[in-house]
Amino acid sequence: MSQQPSLLIVDDEANVALTLQMVFEREGYAVRTANSCAGALKLLANGHVFDAVITDLNMEKENIGLEVARAALKLHPKPAVVLCTGYASIDNSAAALQMKVDYLATKPVDLDELKRAVSRLMAFRDQSGQENEKQ
Amino acid sequence: MNEILKTTKTALIVHSDMSVLSAFQSSFVSKGYVAILARDLPTALLALTQHFFDVAVISSRLAEGGDGWPLAGVVHLIFPKAFVGVLTPETSVLTLQAAINNGVTQIFDAASNPDHVVNTSLGSQQTGSTKPSAEPGASIQ
Repeated sequence: MSQQPSLLIVDDEANVALTLQMVFEREGYAVRTANSCAGALKLLANGHVFDAVITDLNMEKENIGLEVARAALKLHPKPAVVLCTGYASIDNSAAALQMKVDYLATKPVDLDELKRAVSRLMAFRDQSGQENEKQ
Repeated sequence: MNEILKTTKTALIVHSDMSVLSAFQSSFVSKGYVAILARDLPTALLALTQHFFDVAVISSRLAEGGDGWPLAGVVHLIFPKAFVGVLTPETSVLTLQAAINNGVTQIFDAASNPDHVVNTSLGSQQTGSTKPSAEPGASIQ
């Protein structure tokens, strides 16, 4: 990847968002954070391009992170979308599967696993994008 | 792959039970698909090197519980546009998490009628989307 990959981190707990920001900036990502679904939706609607979005599930309301995921999945090019939650249920997990969320991580998050997942998803996304351009 | 040359659609079915494989084979063949069957992981991996798959239906349990998930993940990585369905004996958060994290399109109860699974997967193929058509709660049959 020639450019610095961009990442949006959405979590209503500022400390969690800041920690993830520091972790991913150390990995070479350009990171923006939002502390609410509303803030994330504003960033996504304002033409910011993100290679990946990591969002908490429960913020202003239960499962509202699915709204962030839904908005992100409508973008072109589509970012890799990761849900992070300590409150996974059959209902919200089934909704995430149906929406084709790329990854579901449960809190407490294993940071190495999360870094690997984001890196793999972005490589897969880049390769799939190149294949689509060829066709 | 040149889409013009590839006119016949191909389905991969991976399950340790021969009778289940046979039922899925009949159902896919009746819909005009070529069905490639595998009873274990090595055979499934060999099949992946030799065919281009449009659909895959994989049991979550082959030799041991859960070993079908990574196979589903591999199928998704190789054929990102393919419908990948996994037959699973239970519906839980862990099952759904495994499905999401391996790029599975939809999960089905292990006891689902093969015709239902095949119709669902082909319906998804025909609409040009691998998104499940059912409601979230109904995606587990």
